[in-house]
Amino acid sequence: MSSTSTDLAAAGAIDAVKIYGEEDTEVRALDGVTVSFERGRFTAIMGPSGSGKSTLMHCLAGLDTLSSGRVFIADTYLDTLSESQLTEMRRDRIGFVFQAFNLIPTLSALENITLPMDLAGRKPDESWLDQVVDILGLRPRLTHRPSELSGGQQQRVAVARALATQPQIVFADEPTGNLDSRSGVDLLEFMRHAVDSLGQTIVMVTHDPTAAAHADRVVFLADGQIRDEMIEPTAERVLDLMKQLGD
Amino acid sequence: MLRVALKDILARKRRLVTTGLAILLGIAFLSGTQMLSQTLKGSISGIFDYAYDSYDAVIRSPKEQDLGFGQKLRVPVDAEVVEKVRRVSGVRAASGIVESSTAKLIGSNGKVYGSSFGPPTIVYNWQSDPRLTSGSLTDGRGPKSNDEMVLDFASAADAGLRVGDRVKVASQEGTREFTLVGLVGIGPDGKTSPGATTLIFPTEVAQELARIPGQFNYVVAAADPGLDQITLASAIAGALPDVQVVTGEQFKAENVNAIGQIVDILLTFVSVFGYIALFVAAFIIYNTFSILIAQRTRETALLRAVGARRSQILFANVIEAIIVGALASLLGLLLGTGLASVLRSVVSNIFSMATTQAVPTASNVLYALGVGISVTVISSFVPSLRASRVPPIAALSEATVDRANLSMGRVVWGSGVLIIGSGLAVVGFMDLGPNPLLTFGAGAALVLIAVSLILAPVIIGPFFGAIGRLSPWRGSIVSRLSRANAVRNPRRTASTAAALTIGVTLVTLIAIVANSIKASVDTAATEALNADFIVGVGTFSLGSGLPESTVKSIKALDSVAVASPMRFGPVRITDAYGAKHAAEGSSGSSDGSTGSFGAAVGGPRGQDVLVAGVDPQTIFDVLNFGKLQGSKRDFVDGTIAVEESVAKKRNWRIGDEVPLYFAETGEQKVRVAVIYPNNVGSSAFFLPISTFKANMLKVFNLDFLLSVKVADGYSDSTVRTELERQVKDLPEVTVQDIRQYIDSQTAPFDTFLAIIYALLMLAVIIALIGIANTLSLSVLERTRELGLLRAVGMSAKQLRRSIFAESLLIAVFGTGIGLALGVVFSAAVSTVIAAENPDVFTYTVPVGSLAIIVIGALVSGVVAAIVPAWRAARMQVLQAVAAL
Ligand SMILES: Nc1ncnc2c1ncn2[C@@H]1O[C@H](COP(=O)(O)OP(=O)(O)OP(=O)(O)O)[C@@H](O)[C@H]1O
Ligand SMILES: [Mg+2]
Repeated sequence: MSSTSTDLAAAGAIDAVKIYGEEDTEVRALDGVTVSFERGRFTAIMGPSGSGKSTLMHCLAGLDTLSSGRVFIADTYLDTLSESQLTEMRRDRIGFVFQAFNLIPTLSALENITLPMDLAGRKPDESWLDQVVDILGLRPRLTHRPSELSGGQQQRVAVARALATQPQIVFADEPTGNLDSRSGVDLLEFMRHAVDSLGQTIVMVTHDPTAAAHADRVVFLADGQIRDEMIEPTAERVLDLMKQLGD
Repeated sequence: MLRVALKDILARKRRLVTTGLAILLGIAFLSGTQMLSQTLKGSISGIFDYAYDSYDAVIRSPKEQDLGFGQKLRVPVDAEVVEKVRRVSGVRAASGIVESSTAKLIGSNGKVYGSSFGPPTIVYNWQSDPRLTSGSLTDGRGPKSNDEMVLDFASAADAGLRVGDRVKVASQEGTREFTLVGLVGIGPDGKTSPGATTLIFPTEVAQELARIPGQFNYVVAAADPGLDQITLASAIAGALPDVQVVTGEQFKAENVNAIGQIVDILLTFVSVFGYIALFVAAFIIYNTFSILIAQRTRETALLRAVGARRSQILFANVIEAIIVGALASLLGLLLGTGLASVLRSVVSNIFSMATTQAVPTASNVLYALGVGISVTVISSFVPSLRASRVPPIAALSEATVDRANLSMGRVVWGSGVLIIGSGLAVVGFMDLGPNPLLTFGAGAALVLIAVSLILAPVIIGPFFGAIGRLSPWRGSIVSRLSRANAVRNPRRTASTAAALTIGVTLVTLIAIVANSIKASVDTAATEALNADFIVGVGTFSLGSGLPESTVKSIKALDSVAVASPMRFGPVRITDAYGAKHAAEGSSGSSDGSTGSFGAAVGGPRGQDVLVAGVDPQTIFDVLNFGKLQGSKRDFVDGTIAVEESVAKKRNWRIGDEVPLYFAETGEQKVRVAVIYPNNVGSSAFFLPISTFKANMLKVFNLDFLLSVKVADGYSDSTVRTELERQVKDLPEVTVQDIRQYIDSQTAPFDTFLAIIYALLMLAVIIALIGIANTLSLSVLERTRELGLLRAVGMSAKQLRRSIFAESLLIAVFGTGIGLALGVVFSAAVSTVIAAENPDVFTYTVPVGSLAIIVIGALVSGVVAAIVPAWRAARMQVLQAVAAL
């Protein structure tokens, strides 16, 4: 990997291999993935079920470790970090949105959003927080518990939490998977907005070509390997490519 | 369904371990004490079998005096009875026996050998007739002259004495020296230790030491060959009309029973703590099953959806409880057997007596299984019932937390249970109803259940809210999370805390009451005692006291203004009140057992009390009785002085004639001469020494203590030195100033408290297991949540801290309620005690002890969180997240 691309990249993987199980039950979830994600861009990762998308996201976000190869966030290789440094990295420099169950049920929406800052013992940047809350339309719901929110609202709170710390990169694993199309589109438009006007870097896994069309670039994964990629995707082109790859 | 239950147990075995552990510990404790009691009784009966083996009949006086705890003292018989027995046909041999605990061996360090917790010391007379000896010499020979003695081999070895040594023996007449000429043991080969320090003297010496010159405690006879014990006993009874004759077998049985009763009393006391532990365990089981059942709501709903009936769900859960209960009980029994074996060898060592290995009997097994299974099934029944009510539709909903219903209804019926419980406790405590102790226990249990299970969930929210506002860390996310977690499931938190609440309630109650009693005794004694020194024997034991010569010479000292003696003895008060409150088995009639012949046991029904014998001339100088009714000049021979509260209860007035029964002289009427208001300790009944002497058995006729007032012009220290010189040959006697004396009187409270605290530790340990268990289960339940927290950047340390904080909160809650309940209970108990002892009892709260209790409880709360916190922090972030 050239030094220039490292400079531009917000995160990436080099020759990433992740093996689950032993010997005969061995699964190569990642089989030599080299990829980088540029700053201030919205990247989508697509691929058939079991192709290793979640595994890649988890390893990039420091939630899991590789069997071999390296991953980095900005100028830091994650394998050089201790457990507590890794925790701080997740807390301060990475945002993560899961497909479901993103919120702590005992905390209010606002407390969930500011959770990483509270854990760090830092005051949130109020103006930034206001901006995020308003764009996501969460203002009237801030004091509610997760159980009092709709699925779409819950996902928006999760995205707000991921963005509230102004992390270097946000990973979202099928954030719209559990949402109806209307809520899904709202969420995607917000992420688009965060990238365009706030300069956020976002990497998102999705199965939905229309969702992928919101991204600047789509990376295709199959059997743990990068198969293809597409700049400025549209839903039709993505669908076509998926059909090609499926054959 | 059985298969489902079994699969569930296997799948959740880790989670059920703690439930099992709680039961296991309780059962181990209970069956351990049971088996210990069995082995001890077995060993004791073995000893008596050997010791009294050659006796076919025992001839004794029908008159006896009750000493309490099933201990009785009999009037001795004259020596001529031996001759009379010998002449009865069928008697092969007869001999008089002196058996008394009125002397002590003095060890080489000059102190009395043995402790008050150790084996008793018993004086016997030497039996030369081989047909009536109960053991054999293991070394040396029998005593021939009056300065020779024989000792049991175990005590000799323990005290480092050998045949030929000079041995000192302390008695009421001072210290005497003997030459040790032989060692004995019991059993066919003399190899068995008698379990008591046995001192054997020639008959005359033994009689002197036992204070029955020319008499025997009883006479034993051996039958001609072929003659059975019953025929022999009835023949002797026919020939000697004034005595009571029992068969050898009956005699053994009586002795075994008497000691068995003490063993029973002790072990019943200890078992109470086992039941308390099981009660705590019940809370934990309730809790664990509630959590497990809540966690598998969806699974249960699925079973219902595919056609399982409610009864089948209930059945599966009950089966699960039975299996867990049975396994835990059996393991508990095993541990109990081990416990009994260890304790047995400790006892064996202390009493240097051979005991048999503790083996569980069929009844032990049944008991353990019965109690263990019932406790498990009963305490898991409500959760099981709840499980059977899960609707099939729950299969579709998100896994639920079991939500407490915190409605008004809960407050109402919680208060109802609370009132019923308090009512029962009061009834039990006032000694009403058929079984006051059980009524009180049930009432107290209901109060605890009402407060800590039904009402506590309602106050948990506000309680933790208040803590949150007061806490210095209120703002931190870790503290907020732990508080939120503690209140998210109020019922669970409440029942977890309840286990600790029970322990803290009991400890607080006992600490306050004991401290109040101790302080009251101290105050009362300080007010009552008007002397400068007390010369006396540390603890009351039969036949120990001051020799008459010593009393005389102390009285004669110039430096002593007053030396007022006091002695104690048992008497039965046979007035109407006494007859009504007579102890079980104190009815005068013969017990009607098959082995007893001749004169029936005499004595009417009555209440056995300890009376003091005092010198009417001086007692009012050294004891502050308060404002007397009646005149102290009327306190003469044939009268009694009695405390006002007692007089009121018995309806005695000045001039009344009241009946007292003495074994020695039968029922005597004494006139009430003085009624005094102050509780002066020691006894509520005072007789002039002349009356005491005339009626009481000789063995009690011995001054137990001497209250000394220093004469004008002498300093305390000179008097002390003089007094000490007077008693230097009396190793049991000490000279104490008033402060020392009062401290020595209240010291046993501390020992008693220490023992109770140690026994309560079991319940507290089980409570801690409960907290740890609930936390572990909650951590498992919250796996996803914890994973999420870690994913967004919570450090392992923060996670651990939040679990510690949660545990601490639960502990604070449990301790707080326990402290409150303990104070309320202690106030109630104190009110009753104060009503019975007006003006004496003062309610005193030992702030220091309570602070220690609170700190201890809180620290244990943190300790309980160690394992769950460690487990939670160790969880792999991704695994936790993937638990989706
Ligand atoms: N903990 C694990 N143990 C064993 N194998 C695993 C584990 N996690 C994932 N795998 C395997 O690794 C491969 C990649 O899984 P991954 O979850 O990354 O797929 P994915 O692309 O996210 O699929 P989906 O679109 O269904 O979410 C799969 O074959 C999966 O079975
Ligand atoms: Mg996935």
